[in-house]
Amino acid sequence: MPGELSVLMEIPKDAAFACPAANVAQTLAERSGFDRRESYRFQLTVEEFILCLIGVIQEGDGLRVILTGKRHLLRAAFAFRAAELSLGGLNSAVRDVVRSAGEPPRDLGLLLAAASADRYNLEHQGGDRFRIVAEVDRRYPEPPPVHAPQNLQPPYRIVRHPDAARLTQAAALAVNAYPAWQSPGCFQTPEKFADLADAGEIACVLALDAAEQTAGLLTWSPCSDQALYFSGPFLFTSGTDRDDVARLLLDGFLEAVAREPHAIVLSVRATADLLPGYFEPLGFLQSCAGTVCEQRPVVFRHLREDAGMAAWCSPRIEDFLRRSYAGLAMTRDILPVEEPGGAARRESLLGATLDRWRDLAELRPFLDGQDMAANLTAHVKAIREKGINTILYYMDLSRPWDAALAGDLIRSGFSPKLVLPYGGQSDMVVWQHDQTV
Amino acid sequence: MIRLFDRAPDYVRRFERYVPSRPDPELMRQYGVSHLYRLNNNENALGPPPAAREAIAAFAPGRAALYPSGDAYDLRQALAARFGKSPEQFLAGNGSCEVISAIIRAFCGPGDAIVTADKTFAVYEWVAKFSGIEARLVPLVRQALDPDAMLAAVTENAKIVFVCNPNNPTGSWWDKAALERFLVRLGGRALVVLDEAYREFLDDPDFPDSMKIMERHDNLLVFRTFSKMYGLAGLRVGYLCGSEEAVDMVRRTHIAYSVNALGQVAAAAALENDADHIAATRAMVEDAGRFLRGVFDAMGLEHLGGAGNFIMVRTPVSDTLLYRRLMMKGVMARTMTGFRYPNWIRVSLAREEAMEAFASALRGALDVP
Ligand SMILES: Cc1ncc(COP(=O)(O)O)c(C=O)c1O
Repeated sequence: MPGELSVLMEIPKDAAFACPAANVAQTLAERSGFDRRESYRFQLTVEEFILCLIGVIQEGDGLRVILTGKRHLLRAAFAFRAAELSLGGLNSAVRDVVRSAGEPPRDLGLLLAAASADRYNLEHQGGDRFRIVAEVDRRYPEPPPVHAPQNLQPPYRIVRHPDAARLTQAAALAVNAYPAWQSPGCFQTPEKFADLADAGEIACVLALDAAEQTAGLLTWSPCSDQALYFSGPFLFTSGTDRDDVARLLLDGFLEAVAREPHAIVLSVRATADLLPGYFEPLGFLQSCAGTVCEQRPVVFRHLREDAGMAAWCSPRIEDFLRRSYAGLAMTRDILPVEEPGGAARRESLLGATLDRWRDLAELRPFLDGQDMAANLTAHVKAIREKGINTILYYMDLSRPWDAALAGDLIRSGFSPKLVLPYGGQSDMVVWQHDQTV
Repeated sequence: MIRLFDRAPDYVRRFERYVPSRPDPELMRQYGVSHLYRLNNNENALGPPPAAREAIAAFAPGRAALYPSGDAYDLRQALAARFGKSPEQFLAGNGSCEVISAIIRAFCGPGDAIVTADKTFAVYEWVAKFSGIEARLVPLVRQALDPDAMLAAVTENAKIVFVCNPNNPTGSWWDKAALERFLVRLGGRALVVLDEAYREFLDDPDFPDSMKIMERHDNLLVFRTFSKMYGLAGLRVGYLCGSEEAVDMVRRTHIAYSVNALGQVAAAAALENDADHIAATRAMVEDAGRFLRGVFDAMGLEHLGGAGNFIMVRTPVSDTLLYRRLMMKGVMARTMTGFRYPNWIRVSLAREEAMEAFASALRGALDVP
């Protein structure tokens, strides 16, 4: 298997290049060892995105496409510039899901692309520069059955860089012992977990017992410049040793990340084996599957001494914010923002990340606009149509215009669930679209 | 267009900048308190010794217009007289932290490594990392630097071993025998840099006399500081002592004129008749240590301390949360997550009033009556 393969293309604003670019995508997929089905989905993704984006970019401009084949996925990144006026096309791609006939083809193209990829993400890089990243996952074989280790004995110790066989086994053990939602998606196909660890995309600490049997696992990976997301601790011991192994894993994790650049660690899927005192509860997010909804706790830990800062705040959520900060013992200068009286721009722009695997859609505002409430509503509708239940919206309190959108969010059926310190540029309010089943 | 970010070397881009705490008035405003006890930096609560105070008071403001001695000439004479060495064996820096940087620049090039502990003063690791030098971190054993494992980590490309003695934050230290054995077994394969920032807090005949030992081992360098015992942290003066040859090397990579004029005179004066000041400081530290150990024992909290004007305590909540709760009560401690001791804080040992304020804030923050 080759290492990472990558192709860079600068494509002019001419639809004739979509097909050859798709051929490049196919070749890359094949050379990276993907099977026909994934290769085809990747090809389709690339072709459709190019066709769609060619309709959005300005005359004389080009589209920069980077295709990457890794062991575990294929990724297509499209960087382009779009003048304000044509941005609506991007959003309506999502909006138009619910439209039946007569939509402009470029919107349908983006929609299709989103449908072929496993996840995609739209980023605003400042000014008129944007980037879309779409990913197609490798299909991994079903894991062979694993047997839980027996008679684990102290002393336990932790290792930072276990080999692939050990990682695969640990992930399979975790899937057997814990509800699926508590594991990273890659645990379902443990070989993928080993590939991700090898690629440095997921890090872990693993506990061994006196006889080198696997006793526990905790994993993490970055979810923003400032934040690490962790899963676990997963314990395979029984009785009184469990707390000891949990402590080893938690200390090992925190020691490993303590002098790294991230400011916080968090999780919405920590297991019940988390020891008290290590993390701070932030609140709950609702998760629904079928007709059952449950409240999942969100835990967080600051890795640094809080320096305090200012947070912009709409009067609509001031009580919520003050209560949240008081609970966290965090001091913030709360700066009031007014509801946007009349946004200068007509069309708002939302960034969206859709992940089918995690049943999760995440929305972030890029540009404010008069139609924000309608745009949110359209996004929610489109996302729900795709069968995704959990819809989160992230509000960065470092930006006054962003904080001012509270009213639009409430009108569109979102409620503020929790404050995630340092979740964005500064603190972030996580909103969730209320779901009734 | 290359982004500014991409112009920096990879090891700089990956490095996390250090964010110092804000000034007291700003912190007091933020946390809504009218007084702040700073117990996070291991400063000397008694301040500088009397002779240094006089030197500072006598410093004519007009002298601020003139450059200081570029190589701290008088201060080095005073140090030489104090330790019975040649002034050429001393190099003064803008705090000992500056000297750490100069040592690494002098002896490490691309592909080289330094060896130090995983749970120790962070600056050796930081300077190495942001200079593109590998920092090889050796785990502590029983809360102390492990000479055997550190020896084992000294491979061919390891140029310097940093030994914080006594160790910040654990207070553990290598005695004469441990250091001697280490130096003999190392056999000159690498430089050994002893950071003796807290040396003056100890009065134990078993503590190594590094100034003597370096006469037998010319790969031994020692640095000390005026920031701790001598209460001059605000003026930023530290120094390096070693063989003339080693110090000459470090001087090449050290920016001249980095120690300010006031700092130079205050530091030189601090060495005069310092016995009473040292005795009073040690007594304060001992009282404070006894008091806090009693407080922690009564609360059932595990603590860890030894030499130095600080003590660590294990906290039942995350240290970063406890930090904020203590700040709300006007007390600033140091969180230890950054020292790879999650859920521990470190507290400077200071005057009674500050220790009582800390004890009461801790009980309040942990809801202990
Ligand atoms: C072990 C150790 N070395 C060096 C220093 C830095 O001292 P200076 O103020 O001289 O830079 C400190 C300060 O906290 C320290 O704890």
